[in-house]
Amino acid sequence: MENVLTKQKHRRGFRFYASIYRKILVQDLKSKMSYRADFIISTIGMIMTNLSGFVTFLILFKNFPSINGWDYHHMLFLYGFSLLALTPVQCFFDNNWNLRFQVQSGDFIKYCFRPINVFFYFMSEVFDVKGLGQFAFGAGTLIYAWVNIGIPVTPLLILKLMLFLLTASLFMIAIMNAAAATCFWIVGSGYVMVIMFRFKDFAKYPSSIFHGVFRILFTFVIPIAFVAYYPSLAILESDSVPVLTWCAPALGVLFFYLSYKFWMLGVRKYDFTGS
Amino acid sequence: MNMKRHLALTRAGIMESLQYRLGTAVTLFANLIYLVLVYFLWKAIYASAGTDVVNGMTFTDTMIYLILATALFNFLEMFVVWDMSRSIQSGKIILDLLKPMRFREYTFWSYSGSHVVLFALTFVPTFIVVLIVTKGAIPMGINLLWFALATVLALIVNFSMEMIVATICLYTESTWGINIVKETIVLLLSGASIPLAFFPEGLRQVVDYLPFRAVYDIPLTILLEKNGSDTIEGLLPMFGLQAAWALILTLAGTLFWNYSVRKITVNGG
Repeated sequence: MENVLTKQKHRRGFRFYASIYRKILVQDLKSKMSYRADFIISTIGMIMTNLSGFVTFLILFKNFPSINGWDYHHMLFLYGFSLLALTPVQCFFDNNWNLRFQVQSGDFIKYCFRPINVFFYFMSEVFDVKGLGQFAFGAGTLIYAWVNIGIPVTPLLILKLMLFLLTASLFMIAIMNAAAATCFWIVGSGYVMVIMFRFKDFAKYPSSIFHGVFRILFTFVIPIAFVAYYPSLAILESDSVPVLTWCAPALGVLFFYLSYKFWMLGVRKYDFTGS
Repeated sequence: MNMKRHLALTRAGIMESLQYRLGTAVTLFANLIYLVLVYFLWKAIYASAGTDVVNGMTFTDTMIYLILATALFNFLEMFVVWDMSRSIQSGKIILDLLKPMRFREYTFWSYSGSHVVLFALTFVPTFIVVLIVTKGAIPMGINLLWFALATVLALIVNFSMEMIVATICLYTESTWGINIVKETIVLLLSGASIPLAFFPEGLRQVVDYLPFRAVYDIPLTILLEKNGSDTIEGLLPMFGLQAAWALILTLAGTLFWNYSVRKITVNGG
């Protein structure tokens, strides 16, 4: 039996998972449509947070000409970049916020009974539409900044932007996966996620403002420096790209993999309690 | 008014919040790191400004303001909206409504315990650290007394706003959306994320009369003795604004609640 299952699992490739994802996604969207008021209010809420972040930004630059050598448009670029990089975690991995409730109530066991990857199945259950508003906001900001800085539009740069945006988003996904997975060990660990979510507010500032231990902490332990700062340097300073920027894609994959392993370790531990 | 009943609720709240020791410890530690981030950010901002004083605020002033605003935020933060929506969904709210005390009073006093704990565990330590690190940048005099009074008024204004927003939950299940709208508006317009002194003139004039300022900006301005709050003439309008909003919001909140509670529907009962 075990053998047959593992065999089947091996045969399931990308296409199998893509078709499952589409089916679950449609179900989720259908159920969301029945709460139209909730959808509208949540979208307004999302727009408000982005707007307020923007207003804070404008007020700051009304009083101060630059931050650590970064002028208004470069900071806007960083800001737009961070919003875009944070979109995937918002859209595709939002179910992490429900993990602790499901684990605590025991409902989580249902995910373990399906012959598909638990992590995949759990995450595919929720697609957060609000994230699309953030995406639009970020894209607008980034394009505005791009034009005003006067960066040329070449296919190579666009390709670079795509690659580094994808890379950047992996870091935030990894942070949130790891933060959510703590609930397998600590009851009511929601505060860990709240804290990490607050730290991400600093992703939109150049990490060069941090010094000493904290620079290392926010580069390699809680990698918010990689959510916008290092990846965006690939486009902003094409001639003198720091080494860490080049390392970003590999590091992103590594962080994501580690967080996935940590998450799955929690699942295995949950199985053993047998509740 | 029978104070004993109320204090029993306070005591229960204190015991409840002491239950989650690990959570409190981790949160405290994370707050320290967060404050270090704030410190680095503003240090960089002031370093590029070229002058020591911007809009009447020195770097030290800004830091004290923002650090204590965070400390105040941690201590004033309430989860009335979340708790309300959860107890509506589970039906527990019926039990609370049947209690021999007005619902508003009951909620207020249930939270008072966690306020006491958080005040002792987050605000006081932060205050002492700031005091030592800045070596006397916070004036120590009668302003401390005024600050305490302003904080109590801030607590009442904050609670009233929370209750009004929580009442909206009786109409819709969109708790996340409503809560995030409230939080964003309060944090921005109260000066918790960027001191109100930096706001442009036009916006400032509007924000000065809104209730949000009463929660963070007024207590902190009084503590730092800015904007003429070291004189009685300067203090009176600030306390006046706080008291007026506390009164208006309490009244409005009570009316809104009394009107809405009749419409409440609980699934399953």
